[in-house]
Amino acid sequence: MTAPPALPTACPRCRSATVTTLATSPVAGVWTIFQCTTCLYTWRSSEPVDNTDPEKYPAAFRLGPKSFCDLATIPAVTPKRSPGASGT
Amino acid sequence: MTGYADFRDFLTTLEKEGQLLRITDQVQLEPDVAAAACALTQLGETSPAIEFDTIAGFTGQRIVMNAHGSWPNHALALGLPKDSTPREQFAAFVERYQNYPGEIERVASAPFQEVVVDKDVNLFEILPLFRLNRGDGAFFIDKACVVSRDFDDWTNDNVENVGCYRLQVKGPRRLGIQAVPQHDIAIHIAHAEARGEDLPIAICLGNDPLMLLMAATPMLYDQLEYKMAAALQGAPYKVVQTEKGLDVPYGSEYILEGRLLAGKREIEGPFGEFPGYYSGCHLYPVIEIDKVSHRKDPIFEQTYVGRPWTELDYLQAMTTSAPIFVLLHETFPEVVAVNAFYTHGLVLIVSTHTRYGGFAKAVGLRVLSTPHGLGYAKVIIVVDADVDPFDLKQVMWAISVKVNPSGDIVIIPNLPENLLDPAGVPNGISSKMIIDATTPVAPDRRGDYGEELDTPEGTGAWRQKLAALIKGLSR
Repeated sequence: MTAPPALPTACPRCRSATVTTLATSPVAGVWTIFQCTTCLYTWRSSEPVDNTDPEKYPAAFRLGPKSFCDLATIPAVTPKRSPGASGT
Repeated sequence: MTGYADFRDFLTTLEKEGQLLRITDQVQLEPDVAAAACALTQLGETSPAIEFDTIAGFTGQRIVMNAHGSWPNHALALGLPKDSTPREQFAAFVERYQNYPGEIERVASAPFQEVVVDKDVNLFEILPLFRLNRGDGAFFIDKACVVSRDFDDWTNDNVENVGCYRLQVKGPRRLGIQAVPQHDIAIHIAHAEARGEDLPIAICLGNDPLMLLMAATPMLYDQLEYKMAAALQGAPYKVVQTEKGLDVPYGSEYILEGRLLAGKREIEGPFGEFPGYYSGCHLYPVIEIDKVSHRKDPIFEQTYVGRPWTELDYLQAMTTSAPIFVLLHETFPEVVAVNAFYTHGLVLIVSTHTRYGGFAKAVGLRVLSTPHGLGYAKVIIVVDADVDPFDLKQVMWAISVKVNPSGDIVIIPNLPENLLDPAGVPNGISSKMIIDATTPVAPDRRGDYGEELDTPEGTGAWRQKLAALIKGLSR
């Protein structure tokens, strides 16, 4: 058993400093799961560096602030029917 | 057949038939599990399923991948001999598909009720979740049956839906779901949101192999997947009802119950998808899980998705070909078979008798107007009835000698296409092509087709005799 990894200071994908711990391995000390609360990227401490290290994270999958604009909403949200309207 | 009672009943058969490989050495969730499953699909068309018995960080959890990922495994899933050819599997699937509807049998309890977690649910600790491809934005559940009902027709079993949709695990009890407008669940979501109510959802993991195939089949809105499973297995399909009234398979390993949140969309993706490309990010609906039930020693089943072919291509082979064939054959009884194995039917091959000149092009156009063809079929190759559409060598011969591009290629611009097809312009719109690779018949008098070669007398008898002798060589 090793000491749990320290909370990362930056998200590997969007580099926000909004990293939180989601879970730890049922067998203690094997891995920890982290998540970035900004882009919801989720990773395990024991993964290859491509997925855990902001410096090694593949450029093609990085997200910047612009990436969050203009994301398509699928399916579109259906507006709530006004009270009294009949359902079909 | 009467079907498999559950997933582990199928695994027993796979093991008996030499189609299950057990890895007892400890594996890391990343990258071992996905890498091994990916490698299996590169080893040919007869690969076994793979079970990982010792997973770093877990005790007693097991993962099974590639359960459907070869022609022998797919045949066994349908209850056919494992050496059944794709064409034989197509014929059996189509014949039973047309026996719809079978019956559902509701029972009071099921093995998955052995363990119930309804407080402090943490999916990351309950399920051995893992990343499939390095660009995936999170861990996904990609081989689940997702059950929902229509708020506007709640007691009508026929419009209950069981679909296989990708689920991004976003938190201990939070999931994202890909539900594109063409999916039946999108209708349920729209009706729930019109009422401003959360939609009850049940997510069923680790099922008998037929159920997953049914969830992956684009059947009609008012056809219930459980009744189709019953038709295919020739016996009633056993289900249990949740407290909310959703039917779930009796044999499931895990059941996750929750609510799809009305009006909520959240960033999801990317995920390595069936065309062999990542999907990008979108704003997708969100599910909150309230309760997880599972067996005492549950098995987690997943599928590897990557550049074709992978297990997904076997899962989508007959389940795409059969519904298109049934609709096509209703209109044109001359149609003999449909092979829609290629990337969920983006390319497909139809074999048909031709009644008169131009007939094959009309058959191709009908493919475009089937519900699945509308959103997928992009290149349609039509061949004669004596060309086996499941034998690409024969199909290429037909294209070689029966196609004159000036008269045999039809291109129709700006038709609807699946959002995941990267060739769309814009995304979701594509031109589509029919390749008429049938022999011209009157009044189409193009070409100079003399006598076609047949085989020497006695070839059929020799084939049977030699096949037996060749089999003997390997004994």
